[in-house]
Amino acid sequence: MRFRTEVVNTATFTKLIASLSSLSKLCWMRLESNVIRFTVIPEQGTQVWAQLPVESIFEETDYTLESNTGVINLEVPLPSLHRALRSAAAAKWVQLRLTQKAKVPLLALTIRAKSRVKGEAALGTTTGTNQTEGGGPGEDASALGEEGGGLLNANANRERETFITQEIPVKVLHESAIEGLHEPRCRDPDVHIILPDLFQLKSISERFTKLATDSSPKAAAAAATASMTSMTGQGPGTAVSGVSPKLELAANMHGSLRLSIATDALKISSVWTDLVNPSLDPSQLSQTQIEQLPSERMRALGGDDEAGWARVRIDGRDWARVLSVGRMNPKVVACFIHETALVLYVYLPGSWNEEESCLTYYINSYLS
Amino acid sequence: MAALSFSLLPGSLLRMHDALVCLAKFSDTVSIEAEEDLLRLSALNSSKTGYSAFAFESDAFFEKYTFDVDRYAERSRSRGEKFSCQVFLKTLLSVFKGRTGGKDKDTAVERCEFEVHEDPDETECRLVIKMICGLGVIRSYKLTYESTAIQHAIFDRSAAINEWSIEPRFLKEITDHFSPSAEQLDIYSENNKVIFTSFTTKITHGKEILRQPVHTSVAIDKADFEQYLANDGVHVAISLKDFRAVIAHAETARIMITALYTRPCRPLQLAYDFEGIRTEFTFMTAGEPGPEDVPTSSRPVPQLSARQTPALASVSQASNLAASRQMPPPRGRPIRPLTGTSARAETVEQSTQATIPPSSSLKFDSLFVPADDDRQWDVAGDDAAEAEAEDMLGWDASADLDNPDSLGPRLRDSEPSFGNPIDISHQDEMGIPPTQRISQLNGLGLFD
Repeated sequence: MRFRTEVVNTATFTKLIASLSSLSKLCWMRLESNVIRFTVIPEQGTQVWAQLPVESIFEETDYTLESNTGVINLEVPLPSLHRALRSAAAAKWVQLRLTQKAKVPLLALTIRAKSRVKGEAALGTTTGTNQTEGGGPGEDASALGEEGGGLLNANANRERETFITQEIPVKVLHESAIEGLHEPRCRDPDVHIILPDLFQLKSISERFTKLATDSSPKAAAAAATASMTSMTGQGPGTAVSGVSPKLELAANMHGSLRLSIATDALKISSVWTDLVNPSLDPSQLSQTQIEQLPSERMRALGGDDEAGWARVRIDGRDWARVLSVGRMNPKVVACFIHETALVLYVYLPGSWNEEESCLTYYINSYLS
Repeated sequence: MAALSFSLLPGSLLRMHDALVCLAKFSDTVSIEAEEDLLRLSALNSSKTGYSAFAFESDAFFEKYTFDVDRYAERSRSRGEKFSCQVFLKTLLSVFKGRTGGKDKDTAVERCEFEVHEDPDETECRLVIKMICGLGVIRSYKLTYESTAIQHAIFDRSAAINEWSIEPRFLKEITDHFSPSAEQLDIYSENNKVIFTSFTTKITHGKEILRQPVHTSVAIDKADFEQYLANDGVHVAISLKDFRAVIAHAETARIMITALYTRPCRPLQLAYDFEGIRTEFTFMTAGEPGPEDVPTSSRPVPQLSARQTPALASVSQASNLAASRQMPPPRGRPIRPLTGTSARAETVEQSTQATIPPSSSLKFDSLFVPADDDRQWDVAGDDAAEAEAEDMLGWDASADLDNPDSLGPRLRDSEPSFGNPIDISHQDEMGIPPTQRISQLNGLGLFD
């Protein structure tokens, strides 16, 4: 089993890992001959199934993958990988390979970084004798303790090279360990829409969540007493709302997106209009098939008809973590399956084929 | 009157604060020692694997420095003409709080005065700190201290065959690559590169493997060093936390760090001097001690210890209070307690064995003897209470016979009596048998 490649797109790789690590500590990384898949399945919260062509982050011509099955499955600790990749920020050359040390498989990240040194004449030196003035000039180096120094001039204005090796312990997953994992399947969406700027969406969502949390002690207490007194209850949603605020996200096929939150104390919503409802690829579906899609039925309803809105209820904090993918500056198509799920197709910007590099986020809707 | 007093100008005050912040990373308490020409702040960590000391030159660093040597010489001859005490660091640091609150320029600190009030006649022995601020504002603090003898790590600089100096910013750059949870750092050189590797000795199993900290190694050119005079392939490992603490301080001073060491499992010293401050950090190193490389230069040269500070020569005793707090280091630790070169430590041990009661001294000295030296465990079997009693006897008896009048104040101070081996030998001449039992002393009627 061999895997070795050069990382050419360190920034994308780092941002991708950073986005994933906000959702889970572990990731299933599947290396194939022409694509790399990253899958995050946390115990609770959003699943991510990502697929990137090799050349989007690695050097295609320097990509060695040898395995009996032609595939290597790894379980990777995301925070460690993310930390390791941060060392590569200013790197000239980065290599990633699978190795092992004392029977522990490792992903070894080797980084060659270069930086220019400015001569710093103002720096003091360690002299054997007491130096009264702080920051003596470089000549003092000759007075150095036992041995004479004097490399200071050589040090001035020179390129320095640093090699960094980060060894991340990983687990090699056997094919049997992952055969039970399948990408979720859902019915055709009711509404598909391109999300507005994720940074804006994220800050508004976080603001809403915070407002709901701040008013939650009262809300939680009220909800608790309500469920105590009337055992019939209004459903679990009401009781939970105080603990972890749920955002309601809704969209229609007429370019509108609505983000709202409601607690006992407040009710706020924010509406975006003139967004794009992308048209489906006509080459994949016939005209009649397209006409039968639920999204087309929703489009037929008027823009002002409340029935034309598909709604989902999502966890505020989890949503904020999902939106951290905004750092990659992607195009995001949100597919609403009314009161069931929200599926985000995150397309990374770049020259490669958009269809091939896609992160799919599966977010379950909470019951209201 | 104050036994010791000194004053600091704002610049020096800042330096002293930096030093205290750094010391706080090693221990809860700081040891303060005053000698005629210097003030030393030091800290030894609880496992005795890391020691840091800042020596401030009396004439270069302080605005004013007075230390009544004569009085100390006369009053407590055995303590070697110096004042020493321990102060709780958190308390001392809180005195500096608000000092950097730059907003209110009018009441900024203009001068800081330290005074130690210690006298048998005084009711309150206190460390008094006065912050003299603008507009006539004076903030004064009275801190309690524990009078005790101080332990120092021995390091024989002349025996250090490996030496390098580097700007702290390069080291900072290196440590920034390490995982925050990494515990130790291995340093070695190979050809033209110097390699720093972080690692963790914790053993993990199964799923836990993924939680292990990333092992990071950073290789830099020898040319990045001001000088690099260390042998290739010599691995020394120290605690990464300690290393970071030194770098953080050296960065505030923007001063070149020099490292000195002989070989693995011998101490490594990081040192730098600036603005009248002599800084040294001594760490025990872990690694594979090569059996063949016992360099001739590491042989003990008795006078060398004097080249350090005199106090370093003696593996000093502390008061009972301190002694009870000083736990022997855990055995299984990868980093062993600080020692001088092992041969050195043995010399000290032998001399103390010959001259002072074995119960107290040996037990205590053993902390500075390499952990693999079996002899340190010989006395460990002693009943703790008995050892303590004998410990008290050690100096009480000497005080008694030497100068019966001094018994009162000495008891109150609960000071240690042995400053250095010279005094010990002196006591020997006084005819105190080294193994005197408390029962023998009862006959004198002073303890009845």
